[in-house]
Amino acid sequence: MPKPAASQPVASEPASKPVTRPAPQAARAPLTPPSVKTPVSPAAPKDAAPVKTTPKPVAQAVAASPAAPAPTAAPTLDLKALTARLKATKAIGVFTKISLKNKVDDLMQRFTEHYQGKKPPIAELRLSYDLLMMKVLSLLQDEDEALASAVISSREALWALLADEKTFAALQS
Amino acid sequence: MNRRTVVFAQSLLVLALFVSPSFAADEETLKKDLTAVIALQGLPCGEVIEVTVQAESDFAVTCKDANKYRVYLNAAGRVVIDKPK
Repeated sequence: MPKPAASQPVASEPASKPVTRPAPQAARAPLTPPSVKTPVSPAAPKDAAPVKTTPKPVAQAVAASPAAPAPTAAPTLDLKALTARLKATKAIGVFTKISLKNKVDDLMQRFTEHYQGKKPPIAELRLSYDLLMMKVLSLLQDEDEALASAVISSREALWALLADEKTFAALQS
Repeated sequence: MNRRTVVFAQSLLVLALFVSPSFAADEETLKKDLTAVIALQGLPCGEVIEVTVQAESDFAVTCKDANKYRVYLNAAGRVVIDKPK
């Protein structure tokens, strides 16, 4: 029964609200910079021309429109697409995939309990979500960079789905 | 030794050369997979260096740091890691 043991340290901490607020941000902070840098750096040479127009904000906005497709190299994935791509990737072994699915199921169960008015506060769920994302990314980043980038760009959208009771209920049905 | 025997022996040798790296690759993939599974559970291991298949989806593993675990898929479809005592 290693699972409860893994989640217990998380569950024991967020008793005080002021502490739990900064925690997700701190967890998010180290992830975001690599996520932005990784997809941008290969695209940067192509968009070298628009960068020259940066002094004028208006010109930048205009120049940004042709550059806009570059970040979409790592498109935001919906839950189904993400699941399908995670199933298909060869960067993660079969048992690891099953283990990850167990963890996703556990997190979904905790969201269900949260919306039923039970214990886990949303800040704690956010922390668990961030940690799970970091685990997924650590498995993907070396061998499936494209999917890792897609996961990074989808993180907030996926969180938005989970953090809203209605969309979460729709996911469950 | 007649010619057919020699040809057969050569074929076996060639086959062995192609097949054994494939097994080795499979084993390395399995070790890597089990290493990731153990790490996901937050258990100390470092790296899986030895795997013994006990049954289907049931492995006894030895880690680089000398920890030993049993990793298996239970009836509920969960990956479980037990530390033998």
